[in-house]
Amino acid sequence: MIKQDFLLRLKEELELEATLEGSVELKELDEWDSMVTMVLIGFVSNEFDVILNPDDIKEMTTIDSLMSRIGMEKFN
Amino acid sequence: MGAIITAIEYVYPKQKISNEDLSNQFPEYDFSKFEEKVGIKNRYWVQENETAFDLAKQACNELFKKINKDDIDYVLYCTQSPEYFLPTTACILQNHLGLKKNIGALDFNLGCSGFTYGLSLAKGLINSGQAKNILLVTAETYSKYLHPKDRSNRAIFGDAAAATLISFSIEEYIGEFLFGTDGAGYDKLIVKNGCSKSPFNAEVEEIEYGTDNIYSDNHLYMNGPEVFDFTNNVIPNFTKEIVLKNAMALDKIDQFVFHQANAFMLNFMRKRLKIESNSFFIDMEDGGNTVSCTIPIALKKYSQSINENENILVVGFGVGLSWCGGLIKINRKL
Repeated sequence: MIKQDFLLRLKEELELEATLEGSVELKELDEWDSMVTMVLIGFVSNEFDVILNPDDIKEMTTIDSLMSRIGMEKFN
Repeated sequence: MGAIITAIEYVYPKQKISNEDLSNQFPEYDFSKFEEKVGIKNRYWVQENETAFDLAKQACNELFKKINKDDIDYVLYCTQSPEYFLPTTACILQNHLGLKKNIGALDFNLGCSGFTYGLSLAKGLINSGQAKNILLVTAETYSKYLHPKDRSNRAIFGDAAAATLISFSIEEYIGEFLFGTDGAGYDKLIVKNGCSKSPFNAEVEEIEYGTDNIYSDNHLYMNGPEVFDFTNNVIPNFTKEIVLKNAMALDKIDQFVFHQANAFMLNFMRKRLKIESNSFFIDMEDGGNTVSCTIPIALKKYSQSINENENILVVGFGVGLSWCGGLIKINRKL
């Protein structure tokens, strides 16, 4: 998946208002809560077969950091 | 020689709490998203002077419209909302229901894994010749433990009681069960105060958690993300182990009935197990997460469509952390 598609899918799946780019801090988003976290875990698992655990969520800051956790090779 | 589920009845309290009711209490939160993802529209909560035991009596009296209460020779009562520290609620239930005195009766303290544990215990009692008709009661009122400002848990948990009769049968309808325990996660879902370790504290402070949620140590606390993670890590493989233990294949199971915790999480596990949605029971709209009552309620609902023998895999998981599941057969409407 290319980064631009990922950003669009992420916005759609998490039902976010803001336009997303790599530097956006996920936890600063208005919509961010435990339910959005749950939906994010589901989305990442379905699309990339990567299961985010609570530590991953704790350490995650920007969308770029989420993408590096998923594995940058998956965005080529 | 074997055991069979012969009847199930359940009740909710009368007080219905809709998502609109919760929106009035928490106007800043959009419950439509919650409804869509978690799958709950209403839950039912007891009134202040009503207890899990009151619900249990009602469920049992419903059951006695179908079965003879004098046949009951053992009571297994699953609750985390007992009437008293002591005595055992099952003893009080024996008296209130007018059950025979020469019977066994005990409480066991488990949450979402409670019903499946109860089935397995009932099977053991029957197959070892110790009892023939076991009344398994699950009765829970988590609403009493919820902080008034705990939006998340108030949206998820509902109260209920279910009464199930498990009886001796020539043929075995209750298959092999497996268990799991991880007490390291004891504080991921907990009511800290009010018991032996730390007494109820009238001066307790409010604690903020998650997004704008509040609880106190006198109230129920759930670390949602950790419980979600535990469930997704453990339950899909555990389900496969149950299938193996019963010498079955995933695609030979007619219906999977998991503890109804959260529709999103259930679907997440369903997809990981590659199970079609028509073989996987999800129905939380009316009632929500009723802890140890979700599986008997689901079995009662699902069985309304059963005309011939079906293999049903039941799995309970949650507070403890504790999990338990097995294979059962149901061949008719309960």
